[in-house]
Amino acid sequence: MVECSILNVLIIFLLLAPVLLSAQTPPQIPQAAQAQFQVAQPAADASSPVTATAVFDPPTVRVGEKTFYRVTVSATESAIRWPEEISAPAELKFGASTRGQITQFLGNNFRVFTSFIYEVRPAAAGHFAITNFSVDASGPVVEIPAAALDAVADSSNLPPARMLALDLSATNVFLGQPFRVRVMLPAGAGNQIEALREIQLSGGGLMLDKTAMRQSIEVANVGGQLRPAFICELTATPIAAGVQEFFAQGFTAGREFSGPITIRGQVTIPGGPAKYVLLVSEPVKINVSPLPADSEPPGFTGAMGKFFSDPPQLSTNRLRVGEPVHLKITFHGEGDLARFVPPAPPRSRDWQVIADNPPATGFTLIPLTDEARATPAIPFCCFDPVAGKYSDLTIPPLPVTVVGEGLPGELPVFDDEGKSAVPLKLSGLAPMPGKTVASLKPLQLRGWFVGVQLLPVFGFLALWQWDRRRRFLEAHPEIVRRRQARRALRRIKRALQTAAAAGDANAFVRHAADALCIAVAPNYPADPQALVCADVLAQLDAAEQNGHAGETVRRIFAAADARFAVAPETQSGWLALQSEVEAVLLKLEEKL
Amino acid sequence: MSFRHFIFLAALFSAIEISRADGTNDFFAQGVELNRAGRLPEAAAAFEKSAHAQPAAGTLVNLGVAEWRRGHAGAAILAWEQARWIDPFDGRAAQNLKFARAVAQADGPQLKWFEAASMWLPPDAWVWLAGASLWLAVGALTLPQLFRRRKTGWQQALAAAGLGIFLASMTANLGVVSRTNLGFVVKKNAPLLLTPTREGEMISTMNAGEPARRLRTRGDYFFIRTANESGWIARDAFGLVNE
Repeated sequence: MVECSILNVLIIFLLLAPVLLSAQTPPQIPQAAQAQFQVAQPAADASSPVTATAVFDPPTVRVGEKTFYRVTVSATESAIRWPEEISAPAELKFGASTRGQITQFLGNNFRVFTSFIYEVRPAAAGHFAITNFSVDASGPVVEIPAAALDAVADSSNLPPARMLALDLSATNVFLGQPFRVRVMLPAGAGNQIEALREIQLSGGGLMLDKTAMRQSIEVANVGGQLRPAFICELTATPIAAGVQEFFAQGFTAGREFSGPITIRGQVTIPGGPAKYVLLVSEPVKINVSPLPADSEPPGFTGAMGKFFSDPPQLSTNRLRVGEPVHLKITFHGEGDLARFVPPAPPRSRDWQVIADNPPATGFTLIPLTDEARATPAIPFCCFDPVAGKYSDLTIPPLPVTVVGEGLPGELPVFDDEGKSAVPLKLSGLAPMPGKTVASLKPLQLRGWFVGVQLLPVFGFLALWQWDRRRRFLEAHPEIVRRRQARRALRRIKRALQTAAAAGDANAFVRHAADALCIAVAPNYPADPQALVCADVLAQLDAAEQNGHAGETVRRIFAAADARFAVAPETQSGWLALQSEVEAVLLKLEEKL
Repeated sequence: MSFRHFIFLAALFSAIEISRADGTNDFFAQGVELNRAGRLPEAAAAFEKSAHAQPAAGTLVNLGVAEWRRGHAGAAILAWEQARWIDPFDGRAAQNLKFARAVAQADGPQLKWFEAASMWLPPDAWVWLAGASLWLAVGALTLPQLFRRRKTGWQQALAAAGLGIFLASMTANLGVVSRTNLGFVVKKNAPLLLTPTREGEMISTMNAGEPARRLRTRGDYFFIRTANESGWIARDAFGLVNE
């Protein structure tokens, strides 16, 4: 029963939900406000049939004079497949051609007209006609009606073809140097002035700036005559070097002046709907010189003219790391300041440089480190077309003092009970450099230290070698005795020579006997002092014992023994034995 | 080489060393004066020059103080760690490190036991100790035999002690070598990158003074491992304790 009750309650709530829970309604916007959000877009007139007109303007000209074959179609330019060539009598010489498009507003919709215009000169007198022909207008086929031209041999009353006139402020310019272009539409019959629309400079190599367009009606020199004219002043910039040829084109637009206009003098402005007629001017040529690239200093942004800059002003010269500072720079001069491109912000390790939004020419500088001592130099230059050279306008560095962010030098410390304890703080400066090392790289990673560790190894190796040698000599004492005998023999031989040189016969005999004993002692082995003549003789061969060597040994020992006589005698003849003694010693030494 | 030549060369080397030390002391004195005048960047530069010419614990302590006052916590911590590398008993460096880590909320490096043991003495002392103890033990064992002396108890005890000291110091030497890869982040909010390239994806940013261990080097980047993560960091944002 309980479950049924709960289910019933839930069903009731679900049924009442649409009533109780109303959905959120979207905000209601009044119609007046809605109208503000909507922008009325006039519709294109697609219902009217595409029509076309074709005329020669003027329809009668002298032979060889210029006329224009003009075709106007009520369709967009992109929709029309215009033929490359037009079938015409051979006497009609076709020249330059152009085309243009204009929009006519008709209250709540608009129509588009496209005009094709050809310069034509008749080569002979007569009546010529361009027959009708068809073109495809992206769907409907449009019939271009026939047009007739009368060429007369001579007539002075014929009006010339209506054309625009061009007046340039300069014909020798540098690449990128803006110059003024005046497109003029002279007044027609009865000083009637018409406006111009869709003005273009055709021919390439130029960039047209219509943002600074000025319109006026005034008396101007047109073809050598002072005539009232509609003048549209524009700024053109050459974007290609070399000789550039171009002409102006535009549609006559009755009284449809686009923007403010200055009128000087008495003119008549016709009423009624405008007649859109595409007109062109005679072509003109300008000579565009390239900029001297080899002498271009850094920071050229395309500024053309004669500019100057005021001294840069920094909002402050003492700042902290990360704190922005504004650098105010003002340029003025004779060039086109409206098209002035300020210097680009330079890249700097110590600064972040942000350029102000154009047309402002200042910078916001943010120091990234307290090592910055001056603002970064901002390279900039402009080209003076009059002087034909660049002028340096680099913004110089300005001295600043940048202070670091700073960190605390002391930190209060609290114990567990919240009471203040001894604070942690930064130490003072060390008064002396203190313990020094040759390098922070530890000895463990230095190659030479391994070499130093090898020195004790060499020491121990030397000791081991010494011990081996010592043990060897202990096992072979005769080697030691012979070496000692050789050493003693060298000493005694020097003494022997000294005694012989001094003429001391007793010393000579004594040293000779000692030397002979020393030379034979290792062979026994025995102490040299314990040896006698027979021991020495025993070390000689039998032949030597009985020969001269044995005799020399005997005489030496006899003389030596004579020292012990009661009355020793000294015989100078003993010294004569020196060479024999040395020969015997040499023989005995060989046996050592 | 005659004795005269030896004396001349010794005098020449002494003169060079004295003049170099004088230059170092000049920078040190300049740094002290500039620091007192509040010209901290210049003071830091002078101390850095002095430390570059002749690394000294006091110079590095002062460099750290100047960098800290400029607001460069990472560079200050690195300088004090280098001062402790030279002289583990330098009280100023230890005090400043404790203070800086408390202020910057930065942890100290996590050392292994043998690395901690290697901080009991200067790094060079350990290697000399190892060399001396080894050769002392070898000498105590071999020299009596070479000189035909009877082996005595004290000689054998000396050899045993030498070998023991050698083995203990080898672990400390291992710790020294291992600590050469320790470093500290010197720039604030230095990016830790996924790849060693300028356009590398950033994993995270690192606080100044944060310790890390260098694992690899590639171009201008170190591959480092911190307590929590690893990645590539620019060389100029990371300072090794022994460089």
